[in-house]
Amino acid sequence: MRAKEALILTLFLVCSLAEARTKLVALPGRDSVILEMSHPQNTLVEEERILPLQKGRNEIDFSWNGVAIDSDSIRIRMLSHSDEVVLLSVSYPPNENALVWTLHSKGAWEERVRISYILYNIDRLVTYKAVANKEESQADFSSFLVVRNFSGETFDEAEIQLSQGEGLTSRVEHEETQKTLLFEKEGVPVKKTFTFDARTLPWDPTEVDGNVGIPVHYVIENAESSSLGVHALSDGKARIFQDDGHGSTIFLGEDNASFVPVGEEMKLYIGDSRDVVVTQRKMKEEKINIRKNNSGGIVLHDTDELITVKVENFKEEPVDLTLVERVEGEWEMAETTAEYTKKDANTLEFLVKVPASDEKEFSFQYHRRNVR
Amino acid sequence: MRKTGIKTRTGQTGRMACWALCILVLWGGQLASGKVDLVTLPERGDTQLTIYNSADLTLVRETRALPLTKGINELQFGWANTLIDPTSLEMIPKEKVRDIGLLELTYPPRTQGVGVWRIQSKVSGEIPFEITYFASGIRWRAFYMATLTEDEKNLRLKGYVRVSNQSGEDYPEAQTRLIVGKINTVDEIVALAQRKAPYGSPVQEVGAKAILEDRAVRSEAQRELKKALAAPAAAMPQLARPKEIAKEGLSEYFLYTIEGTETIPSGESKRLPSFDQDEVPAKNLYKYERDRYGDAPVRFLSFKNNEEHKLGKEPLPNGMVKVFRALDEKGHLEYVGSRDVQYVPVGEDVELQLGSSRDVQVKPVDMEIKQTHFEFDSHGNISGWDDEKWVEVKVFNHRSIAVRVECRFNIGHANWELDKEGSFGDYEKIDKDTVQFSLELAPHEEKVFTYHLTEHRGTRAH
Repeated sequence: MRAKEALILTLFLVCSLAEARTKLVALPGRDSVILEMSHPQNTLVEEERILPLQKGRNEIDFSWNGVAIDSDSIRIRMLSHSDEVVLLSVSYPPNENALVWTLHSKGAWEERVRISYILYNIDRLVTYKAVANKEESQADFSSFLVVRNFSGETFDEAEIQLSQGEGLTSRVEHEETQKTLLFEKEGVPVKKTFTFDARTLPWDPTEVDGNVGIPVHYVIENAESSSLGVHALSDGKARIFQDDGHGSTIFLGEDNASFVPVGEEMKLYIGDSRDVVVTQRKMKEEKINIRKNNSGGIVLHDTDELITVKVENFKEEPVDLTLVERVEGEWEMAETTAEYTKKDANTLEFLVKVPASDEKEFSFQYHRRNVR
Repeated sequence: MRKTGIKTRTGQTGRMACWALCILVLWGGQLASGKVDLVTLPERGDTQLTIYNSADLTLVRETRALPLTKGINELQFGWANTLIDPTSLEMIPKEKVRDIGLLELTYPPRTQGVGVWRIQSKVSGEIPFEITYFASGIRWRAFYMATLTEDEKNLRLKGYVRVSNQSGEDYPEAQTRLIVGKINTVDEIVALAQRKAPYGSPVQEVGAKAILEDRAVRSEAQRELKKALAAPAAAMPQLARPKEIAKEGLSEYFLYTIEGTETIPSGESKRLPSFDQDEVPAKNLYKYERDRYGDAPVRFLSFKNNEEHKLGKEPLPNGMVKVFRALDEKGHLEYVGSRDVQYVPVGEDVELQLGSSRDVQVKPVDMEIKQTHFEFDSHGNISGWDDEKWVEVKVFNHRSIAVRVECRFNIGHANWELDKEGSFGDYEKIDKDTVQFSLELAPHEEKVFTYHLTEHRGTRAH
């Protein structure tokens, strides 16, 4: 145990227990430490120590200074004689960062115990790096574990456990940040998507200053077919690069990846394409099926609405663009020159395939029903 | 001035401090950090800068030959007074990849601007490594100069790029590459570079500590650098022509690679010609739209970024265009105006807005208004009617060149009908409540047309 260790474990026997809490006796060293970091924010420390127990009552004083511990989370488990050593009580002395376990042991022996607690101000981040090939069909995908230890405690040799894969053994000093490779997969298939969301982007690019970029995403499937799919992928920042064909790379962009369960997709927004231009216009909006009250006022009507969409591709490669459209309320499609899928009651998605240096136009006409 | 440095510590047992090496150029170290813990200098080999313009971000890639010994090696990379994102630091061996394992990268406690790699090596000797990181403070932008011929039918378009280095670090003889495109970023590099802990802290995100710059020291260092750079520069072969910029598309971006290498000391900037194209046919376009531009038409110079217009080899990055006009045969110029132009893909129209015009005028006048087709409800109150108006539009071209004028009228709702007569040119319904008349006018020509608009109101509006 390091001299400046902040966690102190004191063992004192019932016979020597005086009114004033006189701390004495051996300080059993940590045998092993596991930093369990599967929880995204909280780190569970599990340490094993050997306690020399007397027959009968024993009091174990566990105190901490200069570190923040969730005192409700502290637990002790007997590993050597789990049936013969009984935890009688846990008490918290006043005005101290400490607790006292009272144990009853059936014999005098060395007991291996596992003490666990939630230690604050130490956590981990997961980051990702992808290097796509020039064709953008696949990427070398790697993930890193970043341990940030500001807990006040230095761990000489700790095993860092995540829910996935094998643990890593490392020395982590107080106020140290450490970055280690978690995994590296070559040739992971990537899908590049272009999405124009008509709910958020301007419809007429000539009416805005600056370009209307079409968001471009890389999609990586967390599946066996992608050499992944064994574990869920933690949320974390991903940086994407691309092979430039000259033995070097360029940086394509970065995004915060969300947590991805096995079988789901990681979708990373890398940047905007300004070589695909979408112009959308409402050409018609008329009231139809008008129903009037007795005074001749309109109380209910349907609408006849026509939207035209032009997608220009200034790139030298074909583009598959997803157009997300929203139609409010109750509606039905009257006519469309492109196929769509209905994502929910009010959201439609059109997939538009535009050849290189070409453009596509389509329109859709719908009736909103029972508008008041 | 060089402020990034490298030290290695090696040892079979994993203990540190057998020997150290660092690359702090002597005067750089003395002047900048006052901390001279150098010795051997593993030369910074090839350096490559990939500079972005949509974000303050430069991808720096440098190669250095690092002496490794068998066993565990520790290598310290330090950067003082420069803005480097510590989370972006990466190092990969370029040779003997299978014999060298990078175990971890540690950012030592209570220090800033230092990263230590633990490297397991099965071999001894000098190994070339590639070190990459993101730096802040180097920027580039594009700008243009357009010179119209006297008759305004053609223009000469010159594109430039200007690279400025305010990073605090000199990158001598660096291959310089520029990225045209809009990347997505989550954080600003300058903010990441100033964080107290490289990845922040779970305790609290400590406020960025501003890097203090000792300007006197800096400027002295810069003078020293200029002296140092002056000598080799004179010895370098001089090109008898401006440098060329190779351009290629990558993903959604365009990569410009400047020929050879560039030395742009911190604090300086450089202008480089990107392209120069003469005789680009341009059209004088005037747009009238009261809701958007007011009563005066706005002048545009329009052309296309395509082969027909002698362009189209590359997209045009966004930037300021300064427009001049040749006045006479002696080459005197008139300054027409300047305007930011947005990014123009290959094949797309370019419309340079040059401000409102007094030489071309559009004057719409309501000649007659009427209310017709009244409808009444069961109480005898008015429930619907039509508003009709006849608008005469006069379009004048007072210029001595031919122009195109686009007149747009916004109606404000979708229930209307429109008839037109006279010299209205091309009529187009732009959307449910906007119409456009496009007219071509010869020098000093005047055209007149009339449109009759019927707007349906109340129960007449369907």
